[in-house]
Amino acid sequence: MAVELKQPEREQSVSRAHLRRGGETLEALVLLLPGLMLLLVFIVWPTLNAFWLSFHRENLLGTQRDWVGLANYAEMLRETAFWRAVGATFLFAAIVAPVQILLGLIAALMVARPFPGVNLFRTLFFLTTAVPTAVAAVAWGWFLHPIGGVVNRWLQAAGLPPQPWLTSVELALPTLAIVTAWAGVGFTAILLTAGLQQIPEDLYEAARIDGASAWRQFWHITLPLLSPTLFLVALLTMLNSLTAFGQIHLLTRGGPAESTMVWVYRIYQDAFFNFRFSYASAQAVALFLVLLLLAGVQFRWFGRRVHYG
Amino acid sequence: MYAWLLVLPLLTLLSASFRSDADLYAPGLLPPRPTLEAYQEAVQKYPVGRYLLNSLVVSLSVTLGVLLVSASMGYALARVRFAGQSLLFGFVVSLLLIPGEVTFLPLYLMVQQFGWINTYWALTVPFIAAPLGIFLLRQFIKSLPQDLFDAARIDGAGHLRILWHVALPLTAPALGALAALTFLGTWNMYLWPLVVINNAAMQTAQIAIAQVVSVEVTSWNVVAAVSILVLLPTLLAFLLAQRAFVRGITLGGLKG
Repeated sequence: MAVELKQPEREQSVSRAHLRRGGETLEALVLLLPGLMLLLVFIVWPTLNAFWLSFHRENLLGTQRDWVGLANYAEMLRETAFWRAVGATFLFAAIVAPVQILLGLIAALMVARPFPGVNLFRTLFFLTTAVPTAVAAVAWGWFLHPIGGVVNRWLQAAGLPPQPWLTSVELALPTLAIVTAWAGVGFTAILLTAGLQQIPEDLYEAARIDGASAWRQFWHITLPLLSPTLFLVALLTMLNSLTAFGQIHLLTRGGPAESTMVWVYRIYQDAFFNFRFSYASAQAVALFLVLLLLAGVQFRWFGRRVHYG
Repeated sequence: MYAWLLVLPLLTLLSASFRSDADLYAPGLLPPRPTLEAYQEAVQKYPVGRYLLNSLVVSLSVTLGVLLVSASMGYALARVRFAGQSLLFGFVVSLLLIPGEVTFLPLYLMVQQFGWINTYWALTVPFIAAPLGIFLLRQFIKSLPQDLFDAARIDGAGHLRILWHVALPLTAPALGALAALTFLGTWNMYLWPLVVINNAAMQTAQIAIAQVVSVEVTSWNVVAAVSILVLLPTLLAFLLAQRAFVRGITLGGLKG
């Protein structure tokens, strides 16, 4: 990720160094100070505070917080509802990621190379990035509506029973995952299109001359050369879906029977409905550590790519 | 065909918004008797204009703030020499790893102490210093040819002048991409406005939809009308500046 500092630029020649005058530190301060203050107050301090909170517990009135060490974490790890939420969160991500990547890949493959009218299709495929979460959720709420929804009408036309997509314990979580994947298609399509466009065209030409079929071209050229982008997109999609909240809040509120109670939704509920900020904070810190672990995987992978490059 | 399937949920929503109560459940993709009833009811019952205005004010302010802070910090980290520069840059990069879901509870308590609940302050100020923006602009400014900056230095220009007259004009594409990314991201915020705003007049458009959904349990045509009205501004922005959006998402995504 960030660490590819360009070495040559660091060596300033003597004449260049000569041009520099004193007072640069002052100018730097003017440019940096406002932003730095904001970063410290609104990111660093709250992060430290999240840890601090997680080691405390508020009394019943919420007026005072006492140090309790790791008690919040111990309670969290003992609570079966927490583990169910963790399971739901990962199941959710495990459905979102492949579906979203597949849908995005199909779209990207269609529009990566120019053809007449390509811009119209790019716009249509990338469109979901411009759809706010709440609008996406409402659109699907109606799309899957028990009576008015198109999907159930199709099922009936095909002689199948209509399904309670968002109100059944078994279906609600996978349905929400599909909604989330749909909302993310534009994002994946954009990144994968960029990745596809970096593959040199002459590779395909050479393959065509050798008589390779479209399928073989995809399997032996596109997929291997796209794999770094695919891997990156997979991780980003995972990280995003592990923190999904808006569509769940709007469509199911964690129900039915807590079947869509994911990690972030639990944090929200414990803090703002059960008024247990410190307990919620412990769960937020735990989520942070899991995300950090995944980001670490990503970081290592980037290190490898820079190495090969 | 595939494109049609992808936009179908939005089309059915659009169709529902043009249906009267009586036609709501009538079959067919097109409304049998198109009407603006649902829109009329929506704007009469809900201050939709105010919701959109709130979202617009918040998104534009955050975008402007992010551009200012990212440009000045990005420039300083790329082009001004001072002690601890690389350390500071490393610090900014490490902040990229902190998700909002971790900071939002302590941030809520802080904002509450500031008395910012139900104000624009709560929705804007905490997001003006964005590590991603600083990082992107630093990388971009670093990639500009050094000679340009040397020439300006020889002419006796200070860093603030160079930033304004040399760096910023050349950074326009990156600024546009960052602006698009930030605007969309702010408009799309859900969890944060949900917890810091609890009066109708200050509600952002997204959260307002959630409110309308819980009130209009059966009037899906009204829900659809409100949603379409909320969708229009971002959709319009996307259509007008698709290039900047695509660039912003590519840059923002590929940074990791």
